[in-house]
Amino acid sequence: MDYAIESTELVKRYGARRALDGLTLAVPRYAVLGLIGPNGAGKTTWMMSIAGLLHLHSGTINLLSRGPFDPALHSGRITLLPQDSELPLESRPIDLLTHYGLLQRLTRREAKHAATEMLREVHLGDRLTATVRSLSHGMRKRVMIAQCFIGSPELVLLDEPLSGLDPREAAHMRTFLTRRRGRQTLVISSHNLNDIEAMCDRVAFIEKGRTVRNTTLEEVVGKNSTLVYRVTSEPADYAALTAAVSDATFSFDAETSDLTCRYDPRRFTAEAINRILLPALLAQCDVSTITRGDNLENAYLNQVIGNG
Amino acid sequence: MSTLVQTWHIACYEWFDALRSRRALVVLLLYLAAAVCNMHWSINLLHRLESELATALQLPATEQAGVVSTALWKSKPFQRMMKRMTQNDLVLHDITGKHPIELIYAWFAFFYTPLLVVLVAGNRIAEEIGSGAVRYVIFRTSRASWSIGKFIGQMFMIGLALLLSGTSAYIVAKIRLAGSGTPDLFLNMVQWSLRAWIYSIPYLGLAMGLSHLTRSPSKATVMGILAITACFVLSILIRHFTADTGWRAYLPHLGQLLPDAHKMLLWRNAPAPLIAGSATLVTLGFCYLFTGYAFFRTRDV
Repeated sequence: MDYAIESTELVKRYGARRALDGLTLAVPRYAVLGLIGPNGAGKTTWMMSIAGLLHLHSGTINLLSRGPFDPALHSGRITLLPQDSELPLESRPIDLLTHYGLLQRLTRREAKHAATEMLREVHLGDRLTATVRSLSHGMRKRVMIAQCFIGSPELVLLDEPLSGLDPREAAHMRTFLTRRRGRQTLVISSHNLNDIEAMCDRVAFIEKGRTVRNTTLEEVVGKNSTLVYRVTSEPADYAALTAAVSDATFSFDAETSDLTCRYDPRRFTAEAINRILLPALLAQCDVSTITRGDNLENAYLNQVIGNG
Repeated sequence: MSTLVQTWHIACYEWFDALRSRRALVVLLLYLAAAVCNMHWSINLLHRLESELATALQLPATEQAGVVSTALWKSKPFQRMMKRMTQNDLVLHDITGKHPIELIYAWFAFFYTPLLVVLVAGNRIAEEIGSGAVRYVIFRTSRASWSIGKFIGQMFMIGLALLLSGTSAYIVAKIRLAGSGTPDLFLNMVQWSLRAWIYSIPYLGLAMGLSHLTRSPSKATVMGILAITACFVLSILIRHFTADTGWRAYLPHLGQLLPDAHKMLLWRNAPAPLIAGSATLVTLGFCYLFTGYAFFRTRDV
């Protein structure tokens, strides 16, 4: 497989604490990878190390098959949306993004054109010449996102891209980022798992500076091994359900009224399960929706709880 | 080649950004005001001095300052004063006969430029490291390009400030002094601005080099002010304690690391000392900057 990022056994210490504790993570080219993990798990540290902002104590990184980050090799090919980083306050978005484009070796005309286009894409076409100081938090965030896509870099690292955006802009940004799928490699770190689920095709769980899981979103949510039935009431007779589909396990979430059926995909298809299970279920309650796969939040929490 | 181009882009952007910075603009305006006031008050003083000298030499009294500047130069007390100020016969020889206005402006520019440098540029790097703005740049270019670009951008900014202050001082002189509005005087004032600009480079390197060491802009400014004060104090101490024998004989060599030791070369007319002094001061500036950069190169941002 062709990888955009191959990071192996990365170690970053802050005093006695290990922010990265032998973290190994590979991101295939053109994947949209969601980084998930609790606060302090090492997601930001990993991203900053990849972009050369932090110096590692050990480990190896191979970016776009050209070795560790080197501005001479990777300038314009990798961009980053860092967390908690202000843009220069007196600058104007159009000047700033044109400047960044020039640093990425675009010509002045290309840089200015790209800057204008990107700012329009993030709905800031009317604030091109306002100072950053005069922009709201959400607008600044959109400028920060726009700067990542100047010059169409091959790899974009986004740390909490949608935090601080209003719902309308967050939805627009989700669409904007989803449109990049298959054209660029994106790594998105976020605590909002619905956002990750909407935008990513791969996810990596990071805990205590290590990668716990790195796989496709489909596999994590069990698209081929889980069916979720939204029911009107909890079925009273689980034995009847288990009798209908042997080896399947059932769990019920009283809050959402979701009945989750996990089955062995090597033995059954989703259609087969549905054909057998639905009559047994309808005998006990009504079913409003049937979804293939669990949601990411449940899948993540199950994984975390499963790991203790 | 592309590294040089990137450095140039950063320098240009830094210059424009500095021009937009409210703080830098306030300092710049204050500096211009100080240059204008200094010139105005100095002309008043000059006028009084000339009047007294004219009386002593039994020359006809003048209504405007500057008319008897040649006579002023020839007076022994004035020459003694200048000798004490320059502490260098060659420099005294070179500046003898120059228009007093030039010297007044030159003294002002050389004396206050280090302070201007610290107040305008002392916090620029720390500010961007502290706010995180640097993180948007150093994955696009090397840290060295960023540091050098910022340094060059600030050099432009200081150069502009000095050119404007020289021009303002010239305008005041033209209005207030008889027959001083000549193009020659203007060109000489510009020349002094350029000399003061070269003298500012090591201080700029020192202030910006120190700025690499901290994330706090105010701490960086304080560190810059302390460092520049230390430079002045050390220069005075070295001059005071230098002797012909023993370890004190080596003190002037140590002094070569300080900008003050090369300042008077910029007051000379001959090209050789002027070029040597300029080259040394520019080199010192870059050395100071790179000392700070050496720390920044390995730090996390």
